[in-house]
Amino acid sequence: MMSLATRLRPARGAAIAVLIYLAMYFVYAISEASATSVFAITNLLDNTIVLAVAAAGLTLVVLTGELDLSAIGVIAIANVVVATTSAGVLGWFGSLVAVMLIGAAVGLINGWLVVGLGLQSLAVTIGTMIACEGVALVILAAPGGEVSDTIANGLTGDIANVVPVAAVIIIGVLALWFVFARTRLGIAIYAVGSDENAAGLSGLNVRRTKLLAFVLAGVAYGCAGYLLSAQTGSGDPRASNTFLLFMYAAVAIGGTSLTGGRGGVFGSVVGAGILTVMQKMLFALGAASFYTNVFSGIIMLVALFVGNLSGLRLRRQRGAEWQSATPRP
Amino acid sequence: MAKRDAPALSESKPAKLRARAAWANPELLPVAVVLACAALLIIATKILNPGSSLTQQLSAVLVTSIFLVIASFGQGLTILLGGIDLSIGVVAGLSAMMISVLTDGQNAALPWAVPATLAFCGAIGMINGLGIALFKVPPFIMTLASGITFFGVGLGFTSGLAQQPVAPALQALMSGYWLGVPIPIYLIVGFVIIAATFQNGTAEGRQLYAIGSSPQAALVFGLPISGLTILAYALSGLCAGICGLLLAGYSSAATLDIGDPLLLPTIAAVVIGGARVVGGKGIYVGTFAGAIFLSALETIITVLSLSQGLRNIIEGVIIVGALLLQSERWGALRRWSH
Amino acid sequence: MNSLPRRIEALPRSLLYCAGVLALMGGLARPTSAEAENYKVFLDLSYSGNVWQTAAANGIKALAGTPPYDKTVEFKTVISGTDVQHQISDLQSMIAAGANAILFYPVSGTGLNRVIEQGCKHNVLMFAYDSTVTAPCAYNVSSLSGRYGANSAQWMVNEMGGKGEMVINHGVAGTALTDLMDRQALGVFKRYPGIKIVGDFYGNWNDATSQENTAKVLAAHPNIDAIWTVDGTYGSLQAVKDHRPDRLVVIAGQSNNGYRLDIGNQAMQTKGLKGLSASFGPADGPYAFKVMMEVLTGKLKLTAHNVEYPLPWVPYNEIKLCTGLAFENGCNTFPEDKVPALFIDTALNGDLLPELNLTAVQNGTAMSGATIKPLPAVTYADSLPGVNCTDCKPPADWLEPNRVKPIPVPN
Repeated sequence: MMSLATRLRPARGAAIAVLIYLAMYFVYAISEASATSVFAITNLLDNTIVLAVAAAGLTLVVLTGELDLSAIGVIAIANVVVATTSAGVLGWFGSLVAVMLIGAAVGLINGWLVVGLGLQSLAVTIGTMIACEGVALVILAAPGGEVSDTIANGLTGDIANVVPVAAVIIIGVLALWFVFARTRLGIAIYAVGSDENAAGLSGLNVRRTKLLAFVLAGVAYGCAGYLLSAQTGSGDPRASNTFLLFMYAAVAIGGTSLTGGRGGVFGSVVGAGILTVMQKMLFALGAASFYTNVFSGIIMLVALFVGNLSGLRLRRQRGAEWQSATPRP
Repeated sequence: MAKRDAPALSESKPAKLRARAAWANPELLPVAVVLACAALLIIATKILNPGSSLTQQLSAVLVTSIFLVIASFGQGLTILLGGIDLSIGVVAGLSAMMISVLTDGQNAALPWAVPATLAFCGAIGMINGLGIALFKVPPFIMTLASGITFFGVGLGFTSGLAQQPVAPALQALMSGYWLGVPIPIYLIVGFVIIAATFQNGTAEGRQLYAIGSSPQAALVFGLPISGLTILAYALSGLCAGICGLLLAGYSSAATLDIGDPLLLPTIAAVVIGGARVVGGKGIYVGTFAGAIFLSALETIITVLSLSQGLRNIIEGVIIVGALLLQSERWGALRRWSH
Repeated sequence: MNSLPRRIEALPRSLLYCAGVLALMGGLARPTSAEAENYKVFLDLSYSGNVWQTAAANGIKALAGTPPYDKTVEFKTVISGTDVQHQISDLQSMIAAGANAILFYPVSGTGLNRVIEQGCKHNVLMFAYDSTVTAPCAYNVSSLSGRYGANSAQWMVNEMGGKGEMVINHGVAGTALTDLMDRQALGVFKRYPGIKIVGDFYGNWNDATSQENTAKVLAAHPNIDAIWTVDGTYGSLQAVKDHRPDRLVVIAGQSNNGYRLDIGNQAMQTKGLKGLSASFGPADGPYAFKVMMEVLTGKLKLTAHNVEYPLPWVPYNEIKLCTGLAFENGCNTFPEDKVPALFIDTALNGDLLPELNLTAVQNGTAMSGATIKPLPAVTYADSLPGVNCTDCKPPADWLEPNRVKPIPVPN
């Protein structure tokens, strides 16, 4: 296997993404005087974390070479569950456990349909997404419910007016990721995504790896829904389709290959940050309303293109490494 | 990328053979299953509503499926290459707006307005193809970003509603009858023949399969990969454009958001029809069956009178069920035939 | 290919250059005539690209450009899309940018409450139009007291003589408005055993979707007598005209010009078409803007947070064609060649919004020569818990019709 140090070094694509993020933040900070206040930074990070956590989960599935559209369905269920139970029967902790379990269950269904029955992940997760949106509507037919104040205030404020809670959560996610990537499962996810056959031949359990990736992704979506509830303070059974597309954009801009095996959660979190700060930057620059669409599209392409220039080189290196690193039976 | 190398190289020959023999091939079996499912849904609707006539049902399902039948051909071509086209809904909306603005309700303008609109839509597709083939932007992001961008441009020019009416000839095309059969049904038949012939009967079509199953092998064979990729996305833009024209004619008014509800169903139709998302597999007749199936599914769900939540749950479960049927039951047979 | 690594090395620097240029542009884009402008006002749209939203937004933009607001208001429009996170982020940006007032179309009735409270804390006037929010400090300008659901349903029942097969075209699943309208309408229909609801679908307030679904229902139920809608009405009627041109329906819904022309058409009326053009009008947006500006400039003090915009109500026998570009002398419909069929006539309101004419709401530009006229006294809307307030009491009869007199249940 490839040496740990090489694999854990953030990919070049992610490094470029960090630069793009800093550049955009720089523009935003110059054109909006209040941008560097704790209040503004807290807002910015609050807006980022839902997308970041959801994209982090999606990254695990994408790394194994599969796709997952069920995220918005799970987020919708999690949101309505938190809104209907957190201020009542389950409390903040109970509802967190509940949404994680729900996410895991949906992930398990996805994973079972994909690896157990050999169905295509894109198609299966279109089905589970629609069904999950239905479940959310059954639980709550119209916006409403109440999210407990512990969640709503606890997850969106600052610690001692200095450190935004969202920053702590993001650091926590990244720390989890760096630990996870060193585990056997973390390594297996890359191996399976890079070359399923070779991974199988070298003794990895491909099916189990994919199944667990779907389950962990589901748990992450559940947490993303929990965080969304904290921000909205209520339940809304409709989750937007555009959110799903932005999740994929975050993953891709962060340097993760949508065909698997390359990239990582770090990049996706930065990608989510880019998409959020882009909105702030365009607002601060005073772009006329419909042009924000035009700019968003073009910036996405530029970010990807820039990432790709480095990706081309990286891919060649990686390819060579894999050729020599994959053990032959 | 690397992941497909090893198996694909050894698979490329059968893949080519398979594409060539698409008409008499085991892939038709799952297609038949999906069509049978659609037929079952239509019959079930009839049983639930004894007062209705089966021919009317069938005609309603077919006429309302035309948009999906056409748009998912383009989607199918991009998926055949292992890509995807997320700009379809936006392009259809732009096409509907453009035809209204250009014709301003005059049939006389149609002979030049239709080619102009379709050329514009094809050009958007071509831009997608260029970005994907030459600049190596992942299809998902390329088409998502171009969709967002062109939607913004369309919004800037039109603010969402075409101020001009749709040419009457287009409206007549979508609501007219010939020999007692709705004209859209003839259009579907014609389109399916042309599309299936292109995808499974021409050299270009076969080359798309080859690229989809193994880009490396296609490179070795000297296939014009970039050119064909651009062609596939341009055709997808073109199909979305045709779809937009028909939508404008059907609703006799154009709005920018008219194509939005189409996007997800086109992807669903293609994969339910048996295509493989990583590329190289799937025939157009399958996509067609998928589109009809989805249209029939929507019909029965409409007449069931359930809450939207239950509708969604049923729809999701039936989609997964259809996938199961077409993959599992015939899976053994397909393995055997290879 | 050899130059590739070098190009990559140069990237960070070029990115910084780009950032610098953009920042410069940002600096230039800032308003320079700040001393002439007293108020910073934002319009935050959710979805943009359909007829209703565009008409409302254009009306608001036109008013913001009408004297004296063209000089005293620094006005900016932002499109947030359908994603609640995006709208939260944009509203926060507006608050941080020092907004005095924000007029917004809420994506979610409850999900924005926290950012709305942030705004109120910063002394920003937060006004929602059409769709409502439950945050107590926000102002809602809507047509809820018009009880569209109950009244339109009762009107249809009366026209149908209390019996027949009908189809329901719901709006968007999971929204408070759809939920409320459904409850009102179904409550009325249930009272008449002769009324049979044979099919229903979610048309998503979209004409093409409504048309497709109506066509499907018609195939399964060829004998339907009536269609109840909130929007997507023109598309629903179009499907009936295509499939059953000789036997039309009783129908209630939106006010697209093409639909009004149809229901006012004598020939179609003889084929059984009886239509009601009511539902929620886009002029609610510009009206909300005027109310908000009067509150902001201190001309108006609101005593409650829910303001009523009168529900449009034009049955088929009150359709009257206009000759000019505005609704004058009681006319309420434009000739076919003046506007596209989907144009929503209730984007205009001659009494409350004399500053707007057809060109103004089509292009978003101020009517030449117009100045802002003072508003007549505002009326307040019912408080409906979960719709436009949280801890409040609805009127006892909030699900009952208050405009149309019910007919007795036929035997």
